Amino acid sequence: MTACYRYDGTFEGFLCALAACRESGGAEAEFLRPGAESGAGLFAAGSLDVATERETALRFRERFVTAVSREAFATLRYAFHSEAAGVEQLVWRYVALGLKKGRQVQRMLAQEPVCSVHRLSRRVAHEAHRFTGFVRFREVAWPADGELGGEAGRDRPEVPLMYARIEPDADILPFIAPYFRERLGDRPWMIHDLRRSALALCDRGTWRLVGGVSLAGRPDYTAGEEVCSRLWRSYFQHMAIPERHNPRLQQSLVPLRFRAHLVEFGGEE
Amino acid sequence: MNSLPFERRLEILADSAKYDVSCSSSGSNRRGAPGGVGSTTSAGVCHTWTADGRCISLLKILLTNACIFDCAYCVNRRSNDIPRAAFTPDEVVRLTMDFYRRNYIEGLFLSTGVTRSADHTMEQLIAVVRKLREEERFNGYVHLKVVPGADPLLVAEAGRYADRVSINIELPTRRSLALLAPDKPREAVIAPMRQVSDLIASARAERKKSRKAPPFAPAGQSTQLIVGATPESDREIITLSEGLYRRLDMKRVYYSAFVPGSDDRRLPALPTPPLLREHRLYQADWLLRFYGFAAHELLDEDRPNLDMGFDPKSDWAVRHLDLFPVEVNLVDYEVLLRVPGIGVRSAQRIVAARRHARLGEAELKRLGVVLKRARYFLTAGGRYLGGIRLDGAGLVARLLAPEKRPARLDQLELFPAHADASALTGEL
Ligand code: SF4
Repeated sequence: MTACYRYDGTFEGFLCALAACRESGGAEAEFLRPGAESGAGLFAAGSLDVATERETALRFRERFVTAVSREAFATLRYAFHSEAAGVEQLVWRYVALGLKKGRQVQRMLAQEPVCSVHRLSRRVAHEAHRFTGFVRFREVAWPADGELGGEAGRDRPEVPLMYARIEPDADILPFIAPYFRERLGDRPWMIHDLRRSALALCDRGTWRLVGGVSLAGRPDYTAGEEVCSRLWRSYFQHMAIPERHNPRLQQSLVPLRFRAHLVEFGGEE
Repeated sequence: MNSLPFERRLEILADSAKYDVSCSSSGSNRRGAPGGVGSTTSAGVCHTWTADGRCISLLKILLTNACIFDCAYCVNRRSNDIPRAAFTPDEVVRLTMDFYRRNYIEGLFLSTGVTRSADHTMEQLIAVVRKLREEERFNGYVHLKVVPGADPLLVAEAGRYADRVSINIELPTRRSLALLAPDKPREAVIAPMRQVSDLIASARAERKKSRKAPPFAPAGQSTQLIVGATPESDREIITLSEGLYRRLDMKRVYYSAFVPGSDDRRLPALPTPPLLREHRLYQADWLLRFYGFAAHELLDEDRPNLDMGFDPKSDWAVRHLDLFPVEVNLVDYEVLLRVPGIGVRSAQRIVAARRHARLGEAELKRLGVVLKRARYFLTAGGRYLGGIRLDGAGLVARLLAPEKRPARLDQLELFPAHADASALTGEL
């Protein structure tokens, strides 16, 4: 019988589902995020709603890290955020194997499920790394109260807000947010994942994720922003060496799907 | 010069800076001042790629493109009739901060023509980086050019603020340098390089004793060589690079295909820049730095130039067929690295994975090892993966046949199509 765990779609929730599954000793398991349909159908042993509790998630992480390693945990975390179909089952098998075999799981690269988890993990880590370069912040005047779901607009500081939008394949916000906190320490900023309607929000050195957001209108760029993005576009064009012109190479390095949000490619004009 | 509008000056000074090819922002582990802006990462971050496919990670500009010298290969040479412009240090600081905050760049690469004197010019460059660090509390990456002939005290000061410093050699031999850059004696280039190398070494030693000791150019020094403007062979170039890496602990040597366009009679008349040659030199350079090859293994008196049809590792392997095939489950990591098509990361994965499972063709594929070229040089569990008998001529034909030679090659095609960490290892 396949036990079926419904969780809230977050990584923390997923860890809680894994913990619940371990507790009941279940070998066959299915994990469903909101909106997902069970594939087990008739054979499903009924589904269980798992509550997300930070404590449980942390405890499960500790358990896995002790049994296997910090790196292996990072690997499965990246893989989970690929949002690939069936990734939960895959990670579950990886976790089960890890708890059984310990440290050596990391080196079992030529075997399943290790090899697939590593592949997904690499893909997400790679995309996150790319986006550390591809995020483009723009300086916006603070929106009126309420436009950002009420919350973010409260007690506005004097400095302008830096706003960026992205549309990555994987859910990379949790990986890139800490990086930008280091970089833009002196300004409030937000990165808006349009595909997932999610925001990473940072103010005074701490960041958090907010889900289910959408903008009421086009952000109001400051006058300085217009000047600066014009300078950047012009700089970008002048850096190219005509004798080396090679648009095919450029396109393989900056695929078209990223360009909508890149100022230098005329994004968002 | 400064009366032109800002945007126009930016165009001019970007135009003049673009032929300097160094782009990397990697390798600095300097910790930033708390409460400041920015950080440096140890892996390079590319932000965008130009229409010629070169990565932009730094704001690369000149403080001024006016120059009192007349180096034949350089667009900024005194005798070249081009519009001249200059920035004030404050303008560069503001532009850097504006671009950095928007995540257009990782930092600043600042070079310049020589005005008045080497020392005066060097002081201007230092003023920029000092303001960035002290007034803006900027923790991002800064690469400063050292002006040949500048006072050693100024060189030392530059390295205290910058992550990386560089002095371009430009030409591989004293003779060529004397011919094309008569104002820059070779000593004016080599002496500060030595000084920088010594200062980096002693700062490192100090920091081992105390974390509080000030860093000096923590990302090391680099240099650039122009390829194809003078008659030197690849062997001369690669041997020089090897010396720079080993003796001066140089972090990177960049190669820049000479872009013709000057009508100076001291220069050769090339129809296009020798991009394929530049590409092969980067591949050979990679073999020196990451794959344990020595320059004399790649090139010798009988073969002074790299093969244009083959990457240098395949070329080496084909000349050493007696060493192959090797057994993927047994041979040392160093030997795996010498197999064409196996890069640093593949070799690492193989070594990790084979402790747990015997590797056959399927396992290698699962590890993500690309067997296209490697198969001719490997056995897996005793089985030869190449399918044909290994002999010189047949193998060369095989290796060359499937790969259509791209019409255009560039420095970056060395890397896989993405900018991930493999760009740092350059799988060959
Ligand atoms: S000194 Fe530098 S900027 Fe001046 S002409 Fe020579 S290479 Fe160009």
